[in-house]
Amino acid sequence: MGAARVSSHRLLASVAALAGVLAAVAGSPAPRERPAVPASRTGVDVTRLAAAVAHEKDHITALELAEWIRGRRPGLRIIDLRSSGDFDTYHLPRAENLSIESVVSTPFRPDETVVLISDGGAHAAQAWVLLQTLGHRNVYLLRGGLGEWLAEVMNPVLPVNASPEATAAFRRASELSRYFGGVPRNAPAVPSQPDATAVQRRGC
Amino acid sequence: MSAPLPLVGEMSPAATIALAAGIGMAFGWTLERAGLGSAPKLAGQFYFTDFTVFKVMFSAIVTAMLGLFWLGWLGVLDLSSLYVPETHWMPQLAGGLLFGAGFVIAGLCPGTSCVAAASGRGDGALVMAGMFSGVLLAGLLAAPIRDFYDGPTPGGLTLPQFFHLPYGIVVCAVVAMALTAFALAGRWERRA
Amino acid sequence: MPRRSSDPYADPYLAGIGLGVVLLAAFALAGRGLGATGAFASSAAGLVARIAPARAAASPVFARYLAGAGPWSEWLLFELAGVVAGGFLSALAAGRLRRAVERGPHIGRGGRLALAFAGGGIMGGGAVLARGCTSGLALTGGALLSAGSWLFMIAAFAGAYALAPALRKAWR
Repeated sequence: MGAARVSSHRLLASVAALAGVLAAVAGSPAPRERPAVPASRTGVDVTRLAAAVAHEKDHITALELAEWIRGRRPGLRIIDLRSSGDFDTYHLPRAENLSIESVVSTPFRPDETVVLISDGGAHAAQAWVLLQTLGHRNVYLLRGGLGEWLAEVMNPVLPVNASPEATAAFRRASELSRYFGGVPRNAPAVPSQPDATAVQRRGC
Repeated sequence: MSAPLPLVGEMSPAATIALAAGIGMAFGWTLERAGLGSAPKLAGQFYFTDFTVFKVMFSAIVTAMLGLFWLGWLGVLDLSSLYVPETHWMPQLAGGLLFGAGFVIAGLCPGTSCVAAASGRGDGALVMAGMFSGVLLAGLLAAPIRDFYDGPTPGGLTLPQFFHLPYGIVVCAVVAMALTAFALAGRWERRA
Repeated sequence: MPRRSSDPYADPYLAGIGLGVVLLAAFALAGRGLGATGAFASSAAGLVARIAPARAAASPVFARYLAGAGPWSEWLLFELAGVVAGGFLSALAAGRLRRAVERGPHIGRGGRLALAFAGGGIMGGGAVLARGCTSGLALTGGALLSAGSWLFMIAAFAGAYALAPALRKAWR
């Protein structure tokens, strides 16, 4: 082996070693800490909030969220309010894991679109109210929570004897589903609960 | 706020196909350059005479692993949107052993068999044919062992998650192991 | 062995780094890594679906390739076609393009071809169980630090080393 080759190998090995050691120091490519926002906003406009809920302006459907993610909607922030264990098991692409206590001190910008997700939607709905009272307007929740995402996007089911409209809707949902690595399928004989462990993607 | 990469959401179906083919071409080109389209060369790994397989594979893994870590750290690449292969403990252990056995019998793996066949090697073509037949048969016979094949899975589990260690520590450990192994391989080769 | 008129092989470390860059580019541009098994599985699924659609849908292996846009739109099919093209072009450029059956010094052509087919078949079975092979699991999953991929990689090397002594006649 020539001397030039050996020395270029040594150089590459040194670069790799340096990059590795720096990685150990850097720890984790986690988002940098954000400064806390002063929680001194007052004036809860209950009428406005109630109207937003009544006119269904507070939430989006899982399919709409899927379109936003795939279409790379600018300023989209997906906030997952579940435990870190649940988040590690499965989370939406680009989702951030924050507790409800952290989310109320997170300084969202007005141009950001915040989507709140929890297991069934209860925590998300509560966080929605809290963020709205802090003055954040561009906030939505996934009303059915992660369960809705799994059922509508990851594992959409075409019911037996579906109408043409339902079949067309299923086809659109399937296209989205495939993008996220979900498994669209026909209705099984025995309906099953959607669960995170059933999430599958095309392999390698 | 989201990272600019990966690009995939913005591409038309035609562009996606072109990208897949382009990436594949670079993959195939590189494998052939390294000589991995030659079965006797690959088999040499398992008789301790030619460590090319190990060197290429682990240099690639270390390079890509470091690249992922640092692009993620810089916020350029959104790591959470990358597809991580699912972990299936028993099937991947059993499948790995079986795959390794087949590998040393055939002398080529699925990817390199395509490179060999493309270079005119009849053995490469036969490995591809065998691979297709094996996959076909396995697919047809899988239903009775569905519970083993498709059991509960921790999903896209990573080593940092499994060992409860920071991502960067695991990266550093892998780099250290690879560099040590490369040094040992070099020493082994000089002795031979 | 390359013939005297063909180029020497590239340095394995440099080739490996090049491969790593290709893999990284795949992640950055397409959000996924490399693979090969899926191409085989998807085409097998498509074939079975043509002949016996019920069997295809009933297979836990094939069913996942039949949903959505279908098995012939599988990303990996196009990627593997690229692998063939890239391998061909490199062999052509290096003067390594030739019809041959590469084998060890003490095995005949027929024996080598039989082992190639058998080995391929066994790898197919293993790759189906593991949901991937060296490209998709070892390289891609390895770079992503996927736990199952690392397990697969270690098991594959173990399986190969374990069987190697029994196959001396084929390669040495």
